[in-house]
Order: sequence, then structure tokens, then C-alpha cells
Amino acid sequence: MTTTRVGLTGALASEALEPLTKLLRAMADDELILGYWDSEWTGIAPILEEDVAMSSLAQDEIGHARAYLGLLADLVDGDADALAYDRDVDELRHCRLLDHPRADWAATIARRFLYDEADAVRLAALAGSSYRPLAELVAKIRREEVYHRLHADAWLRRLAGSPGEARARLEAAWTALLPDAATVFTSLSGEETLVEAGVIGAPMAELEERWRAAIRPTCRELGLAVPGPATDPGRGRDDHGPAVAWLWNEATIVRRLDPEAEW
Amino acid sequence: MTAPRTTEPFSRLEPWEVFRQEKDGDPMVHGGSVMAPDAELALHYAREMYGRRGESIRLWVVRRADVIVLEDPDLLQPPLDRSFKKPGGYVMREKLSVARARAGAPKRTATDR
Repeated sequence: MTTTRVGLTGALASEALEPLTKLLRAMADDELILGYWDSEWTGIAPILEEDVAMSSLAQDEIGHARAYLGLLADLVDGDADALAYDRDVDELRHCRLLDHPRADWAATIARRFLYDEADAVRLAALAGSSYRPLAELVAKIRREEVYHRLHADAWLRRLAGSPGEARARLEAAWTALLPDAATVFTSLSGEETLVEAGVIGAPMAELEERWRAAIRPTCRELGLAVPGPATDPGRGRDDHGPAVAWLWNEATIVRRLDPEAEW
Repeated sequence: MTAPRTTEPFSRLEPWEVFRQEKDGDPMVHGGSVMAPDAELALHYAREMYGRRGESIRLWVVRRADVIVLEDPDLLQPPLDRSFKKPGGYVMREKLSVARARAGAPKRTATDR
């Protein structure tokens, strides 16, 4: 395998470069879109304390997106802000689970649980990545995700265990999100090269099984269905629909006023 | 004390007091309070309010109802003159310098410490 020097510290099999950019793009867009959806709770969360918590979680996710885009910028010799914002909605590569609008609190918590648990499995598979800059970044992000998962788990249990409206809303959200939950693990073209080069520990299909096994006990305990395979895996990270088109317009509106502006 | 279980989590919000430590060896100081329905969420909210910027290495979270309060003025603000119980009642500086002179010890300066 020929090796390419990349960035300051990364040595990478040259045929793994293209799939690595796809992986970074997918992870960055997942965090970016989730961060923007959850930031919509700022000012209107159930109580003040939760308002601060959810806004802080949203900021964390956008910070993770920025870090992944920083790695991507090194690989493609670009700029993280431009890679993030100077795009049409069709160019976003987040998973379909994140195409659903923010909706109510139960939907936000249900999605956070499904996504954060999936992300945790994906991050674990990258902790020993042969691409050192990614392994080092993932080590930091995993420490921050500990709290994210505690928060989502705490709320999921409270909603699931509160008979009446809370439980009913959670069940409705679960039903709506479930067909798209597994899209976090949409296979990336060339991912076998990433596995072979040790960039990621296992193919997406295997990570999906690990995720299902990890959340099954909680789902059973709370009487919630275990997510099956994605109903439309071919469109796992494409064709995002009107909710995200609206969100993306909101997210980029200032940037588009003057992309050259210094902040 | 266990809060009564109800079907609506936020019908039993109550205040929790948060103490924080900035670095090892520092005292725990009162940071403020959060409203939460239980200890677990109180800890989450304490972390967000008093720890998310890396400003604390330890938090203590205490249900306000569990704090034992003393605020009786008869016990805390005695009506008679008790100023002699304050350390200011004992002027040590003069006595100390006389004792040092007698022992032949030099006056201590800040750099000796």
C-alpha cells in the first residue's frame, strides 16, 4: 500500500483518502444538523435549567462538527467554515434520522438517545484509528459524549416511566423515528478500504449490530421497540426533504449575507 | 425524605444547593442553586450551571430541604455586649514584640514564612 503524508501528523494509505473524507463529512454533518435542531430549544425548553443543558449540548455537537471539518480541511486543503456553510442543502451528508424536525420534547429526547448511542458505537470503532489525528480527536469527543448519553438516558427513562401524555408522546416519537434510526450506519462507498487500512475498526453493518445489541436491554426494560434495519438504506444520507431545507436556510442566513466577512 | 411519586415529573420540582471547588485544596464554596425533580437531574443541571466551562473540579449537590438551618437571632445575635469573644479583643502585636526582644529573636518578616 502506498502511503500519503497528510496534514501534520497523519500517514494514510492513499486509496483510503477519498473514503476518509466521506466518513468525516458524514460525522461532521450528523453533529452539525443535530446541533442546529437541538439549539432550537434555546429559550423554550421545559424549564430554565433544561434550557441551559440542551443549549450546551447543542453547542457541544456543533463544536464536534467544527473539529471534524478541521480534519477534513487538512485533507482537502480547505476551510472549515466554507466546508460547513457554503453548500446547498443537497450537499449535506447527515443521516435521515436527522431529517426529522425538532418536534416536541419527547421526539428530541428519543432522537438524542438513538443517535447518541449510535454515535458512541461509531466513536468506539474509531478510538484506535490508524489515522492518528482522528483517533486523538475521538478520544476527546468520547469524554464529552459521556455526559450527553447520561442526559439522554435520564430523560428517556422519565418520559417512558410517566404514564399519560409523556409516555404517549414518547411512543409517537419513537414510532416516527424508528424507520430511520439505523441510517446513522448507512454504508459509505469505499468503507472496506477504511477497515482494511485500520482507519475504522469495523464496517458500518457490523457497527449497526453492535448498536442494536447495546440498546436492546434499555428498549426492553422501557417497553420500546428495538429499531430494525433502515427502511430505505439507499437514501440513508441523501435527499433530505423540506424540514432540513428550512433549517439549513436558517443556519446559513447570516453567512450568506457576506461570506467574506471577518468575525 | 423521599419526594412523593407523581405522574408529572415537573410537578415536584424543588431547589437544590450547589457547592463547587475550583482546584484541589480549595474550600467548597456555595455556587448557587438549581431547580430539579430529583437528584440525578439536579446533578446534571449543577454540572451545566456551575461546571460546563471547566471552572470546577468537584461539585456537591444538596437538596435544600435536607439542609439544617439555624437562624434564631437569640442564638446568633446575642443582645448583650460579647465583643470580648472576638479575636480583635486580644491585641497580640505588642506582647509578641516584647517576648521576641526578651528571647533575642529578630522580628519576623513576610519573607521568613
